[in-house]
Amino acid sequence: MDIQTLTLALGDSTHAGRTFDVMPIVGEEPVLQVTVSGAEETPVYVTVTDTQILCLVYLFDEQELNPERLSELHENMLRISVPMPLSALGKTGDHYVAYGALSPTSGAAEIMQELVTLAENSIDLLQTFEDYLA
Amino acid sequence: MRSVLNKILTAMRGGVNELGEAVVDSQGNRILEQELRDSEHELKQAKQELAALMAESASLARQIRSEQDSASKREQDARKAIAAGQEDLAREVAERIVGHERRVADLAQTRELLQQRIAGLKERVQRAEKQLADYRRELQVVKTNERVLRTTAQIDTNINSQKSSLSTARETLERIRERQAREEDRQTASATLEKELTGADLDEKLKAAGIDSEQDAVNSVLARLKDSPAQ
Repeated sequence: MDIQTLTLALGDSTHAGRTFDVMPIVGEEPVLQVTVSGAEETPVYVTVTDTQILCLVYLFDEQELNPERLSELHENMLRISVPMPLSALGKTGDHYVAYGALSPTSGAAEIMQELVTLAENSIDLLQTFEDYLA
Repeated sequence: MRSVLNKILTAMRGGVNELGEAVVDSQGNRILEQELRDSEHELKQAKQELAALMAESASLARQIRSEQDSASKREQDARKAIAAGQEDLAREVAERIVGHERRVADLAQTRELLQQRIAGLKERVQRAEKQLADYRRELQVVKTNERVLRTTAQIDTNINSQKSSLSTARETLERIRERQAREEDRQTASATLEKELTGADLDEKLKAAGIDSEQDAVNSVLARLKDSPAQ
């Protein structure tokens, strides 16, 4: 599955009653911004490499957090990461992210399932961790 | 693998990873790729060598069998010569047998050495294959890390250039709450509409005003029954 195929597949598909709004992010790397209907606030960024399809949602930046409660937040993020369906929590640069990685051989249905789940998980995560914002 | 993971973590903690800057420098990356190519090359060579040695060993085994066959055939000839009282001929045949047996011993020794080399080489191939898998895994981690950094840098640049700037978590939460409230309102509205359509809302209003048609019907039946008591 490459970015072009994925763009075309998402453009006119629905999955579990959701539609997808796809926008390529300009730059050297092939990156898509996918907005899932009903979860528009948490756009999913998708990039395809040789070894995986990586889906990312930005949750919050380090400077948005209450520094005194940082280690408590980290502990909770680690704990919640395991039971959360399909998504995991991580950090890249200053961004705390929810992400999911799929095999590059995944089909459109699996990718759409991932996108919907990740966008919904991200909304739940933001609301769950709201108290840790500064 | 551990060294690569440690390098990445150290660089991350040091805050080196600004705007897609490679964490494990490209020089280190090139070294890793070179090591991968060297390993692949070594593996290919070792496999070719192994195949050649195994072919040689098979050929030696064939030669040994052929010498042994010749020796046993000559033994029969020698017995026949002895039986016929041809002592000199028997001696000549025995000399041939000695020659065959010596060649069998020489060939067997060569083959034994060859088998040892084959065993050693097989071990080398296995080691190279394992090392190759390790390098590939390391390289995958390094490359994925760089890809993620470049990708997020690209997303950030893009969002900033749209002047909408990356919205803060608080703003996002606000938008989520607004949408959730809208959805709730819609649900309430559609429930209200449904009541209106089925007349359920009017029944509720009548009941609230003390007008209950159901209750009235029961009362009228009771009154009728009281008017015509059982005979």
